[in-house]
Amino acid sequence: MKGTVLVVDDSAMMRKVVLRILKMADLDFEAALEAGDGNEALTLLRANTVALIMCDINMPVMSGLQLLQQIKEEKLAIGVPIVMVTTENSEPQVRQAILAGARGYIRKPFTIDHIKNNVKPLLAA
Amino acid sequence: MSDSYVAPKPYCAEYFLSTENLDHLDATVAEVFKMMFGLEIQAVGVANSAVHLPELDVRTAIVGFSGAMRGSCQVRVSVQAAISIASAMLGGVPIDEGDDSVNDALGELCNMLAGGWKNGMPSLSSECALSPPTVISGHDYKVHMSKPSTKLSRTYQFEGHAMYLTLYREDMESFGE
Repeated sequence: MKGTVLVVDDSAMMRKVVLRILKMADLDFEAALEAGDGNEALTLLRANTVALIMCDINMPVMSGLQLLQQIKEEKLAIGVPIVMVTTENSEPQVRQAILAGARGYIRKPFTIDHIKNNVKPLLAA
Repeated sequence: MSDSYVAPKPYCAEYFLSTENLDHLDATVAEVFKMMFGLEIQAVGVANSAVHLPELDVRTAIVGFSGAMRGSCQVRVSVQAAISIASAMLGGVPIDEGDDSVNDALGELCNMLAGGWKNGMPSLSSECALSPPTVISGHDYKVHMSKPSTKLSRTYQFEGHAMYLTLYREDMESFGE
């Protein structure tokens, strides 16, 4: 798949898991960038063009929701689908993430089918 | 049921120790293991029974609850079990004991179990937050809670390994106790 995916999660293990499952869901990107928190993600987004962002919510330094706000303010990654991948899936949080610019929401634990059903349509659009 | 009957809050002590909560916990554990690791896991023994893990090298992951319910979720396994979890999480890649991903995977497992358990209860889902996971090596430690707590323990078995899961819930006046 053309383009670069950015995976943002404070767990290096979860970043690897997300990349592995994307690949298994036939979303094998040409390149992958990894960030351990929102700040690192912003630095990468200011210097790179990405096709998809997969982002955790609970992270140190800058949370996923704060990152969404900052992306919006700095007008970064315009039109790039942002999918939240998190254990937190309460309705208020999902609503908050969608309002802040997220296009999808995947709850941990997740399967290949969850990625196929929730991420693939966003890339096809 | 009399007219004066008041159903317990889903996270009160009465519910916390109920069979319903235990079933919910078992279902959460099975779901996480099936979806993230492709592994079957079974509960063994009765709730709050003792468990015997190898004395030598044990890892414990802890995730705290705050908000509507305060307490913690603790997952204790042998190092070999933690390695199996990390390896399964990466699709069967061999992993060394000293690899950082062993503790990382155990912390993430604890995070998903704590999150899955509390998200399964609408009253807790949005009212209770999780702390980032902490992983402890060794068995010679004590966890001190700031208030008297109710404890729910359960032992599970997967791939020949034991996993000991404990939920602590601080007893709080605001819960009407």
